Amino acid sequence: MLQWGMVLLAGAAGMVNPAYSQEKGTVYYMVPTLLDEFQTGSVSALEMFLEQVGYEMTTLNADNKTDLQQSQMNDVITLAPKAIILAAVDFNALAPSVEAARAAGIPVIEFDRQISSTMSDFTSVAGTVEIGYVAAEQVERLLTEKNGAVKGKVLQVLGDPGDPYTLDIQKGFEEKMAAFPEVTIISQPATMWEASNAGTIVSDQLLANPDIDIVFSHAAHLSVAAVASLEAAGKQPGDVYVMSSNGAPVALQMIRDGWMQVEVEQPLYAQAAAVAMFMDKIVAKQPIEPGEYDVLGLKSVVTNEAWGPTIKIPGAAITADNVDDAAFWGNLQPPTEAVTPVP
Amino acid sequence: MTPQSRRALELVLDNLVWFMLLAVLAIFSATIPNYFQPGIFANIIEQSTVLGVMSIGLALVIIAGHMDLSVESVAALSAMAASMVFASSGIGLGVELTPGWLVVPASLALSLAVGAAVGLLNGYLVIKIKMNAFIVTLSSFIWVRGLVVALSGGRSAQNLADELRWLAIQRFLGLPLTAYIAIACFVGFSFMMAKTRYGRHLLMIGGNEAAAFRAGIKVDKVLMVAFLLSGTVAALAGWLLAIRTSGATANLGTGMLFNAFAAVVIGGVSLKGGVGALPGVYAGVLLLSAINTAINLMGLPAHFTQVIHGLLVLAAVLLDTLKQSIRKKLA
Repeated sequence: MLQWGMVLLAGAAGMVNPAYSQEKGTVYYMVPTLLDEFQTGSVSALEMFLEQVGYEMTTLNADNKTDLQQSQMNDVITLAPKAIILAAVDFNALAPSVEAARAAGIPVIEFDRQISSTMSDFTSVAGTVEIGYVAAEQVERLLTEKNGAVKGKVLQVLGDPGDPYTLDIQKGFEEKMAAFPEVTIISQPATMWEASNAGTIVSDQLLANPDIDIVFSHAAHLSVAAVASLEAAGKQPGDVYVMSSNGAPVALQMIRDGWMQVEVEQPLYAQAAAVAMFMDKIVAKQPIEPGEYDVLGLKSVVTNEAWGPTIKIPGAAITADNVDDAAFWGNLQPPTEAVTPVP
Repeated sequence: MTPQSRRALELVLDNLVWFMLLAVLAIFSATIPNYFQPGIFANIIEQSTVLGVMSIGLALVIIAGHMDLSVESVAALSAMAASMVFASSGIGLGVELTPGWLVVPASLALSLAVGAAVGLLNGYLVIKIKMNAFIVTLSSFIWVRGLVVALSGGRSAQNLADELRWLAIQRFLGLPLTAYIAIACFVGFSFMMAKTRYGRHLLMIGGNEAAAFRAGIKVDKVLMVAFLLSGTVAALAGWLLAIRTSGATANLGTGMLFNAFAAVVIGGVSLKGGVGALPGVYAGVLLLSAINTAINLMGLPAHFTQVIHGLLVLAAVLLDTLKQSIRKKLA
């Protein structure tokens, strides 16, 4: 009877997870949070691409807590997986955990959030500072279109001020915007990445600075609340330009509705596909050659950095002209072609 | 001290939070450019809508000598439930009802039902099973937020039905209709606390539960209603939050519990129970909103805003402690 029960349980487990037994072993993905769509999208994209190249993936959610992610790393190291994919809650705090994993012979891949203070086996990023650069280029274009020159007022709604991800975007954005002294940038944090905080910031600032030209928030869900505040203040689509970053489905919808002008996409599918393409080499600890690679049709460059081989995949600006392009992850149409491992 | 000056001092002490609010508004108006204008004051009232409603339920339970840490998560679940049904993009199902105005009562009923269910469960575990309220509601704070994440899969429901958004957009005397809902809640619950037998019983139970029981008050029933009200009112806050942000994300309302606690304490509700009035809580909420607005307008470096917010709240609570001390000396 007990044996039958165990057989049934094993069968049930197989039904719950069809990718139960992948021939090349298990890879752990340490996701920083499951509270935003980019992160949940990254789980399904990595799972899909890794399955295509023969790996099973298990995900651990750190709930945006650095100490929890450190504990998870320690636990996973004892399980000796084929590799660990880390999207760090805190870039620097996780460096010792990366070193511990590599010392135990487990390759570590940095995903989306680059750790430059220690060596890792592979890094796949769009580049958060670079997202800031792209955003600045778009602000330059939008202000010229609106005011005839690169001058005006931009409200920058950051995420949590303790999150290096948002601070990097801010750094890139402000670095580029420094070339335009006639642009005033007002920066406020939506603490804990909470949407209603963003809404409050926008409604307050609209009163104090009624001449705001552009609201740039660091995540699409913050823009939703920003748009709600604009609407409540009697604004029409296009009265105040709105842009954000990450490329979530909701942002694409706001572009279609006319409320948002630009979304700077993080190329989620390509970032995940790049990890899968190089996984065999990473697991076998073979060198990864620098050079140009085609990742889901995007020309991407692998370079040997001080912290290890790094692939940077360009983030694109999504506008009304290209919003329906299936390549954008926010359109939720995962690529149908399977990725192939780099030989 | 003459009886007149003693009465004047007591009047000030009884309404200290209102005087603090006026003082803060005066200081900010004098020092922050653009602060002194009707639009900003309307914003302060508007921004206090969700936090205010959430604080009402929390205050009721604290006045009764218990604790409800689940209010923030209940609000998030309520917002997500209403948004998943009545939002049209993301994970929203975009359900349309005919006639359209039915969306408002239907979504409200759905939200309130969600909150009432959690409130009843909290109450049952605390009152019937005799579990510690802090632990029970802490558990609810965690599992209810987990349920929000699980239901949504981390995705968001956006583009809430126009009938609901209308409540946030439509204005009367410069304020959105949602703000009037919050004000009406404060008026209604203040009346309940001050003028009804239930309110008096709640205060008596919070002051001394054993004595209240001996006095013939049905303690369990009154407390059960308090938890039920706390969950339901938190759900109303969530419904308003969804309307304000035109949908729901899995992290919606994160951190509001602590602000609600701050507002309740600043508003003069004793964490030991038995003391407190809801108008004071409303003043506490307005005070926090006024501070928040000031921080938004001052253009401070992002890293300092939380520090300043926390220190200002601390200063407000310190003043409240001084008030208690003066009151003891007067007695």
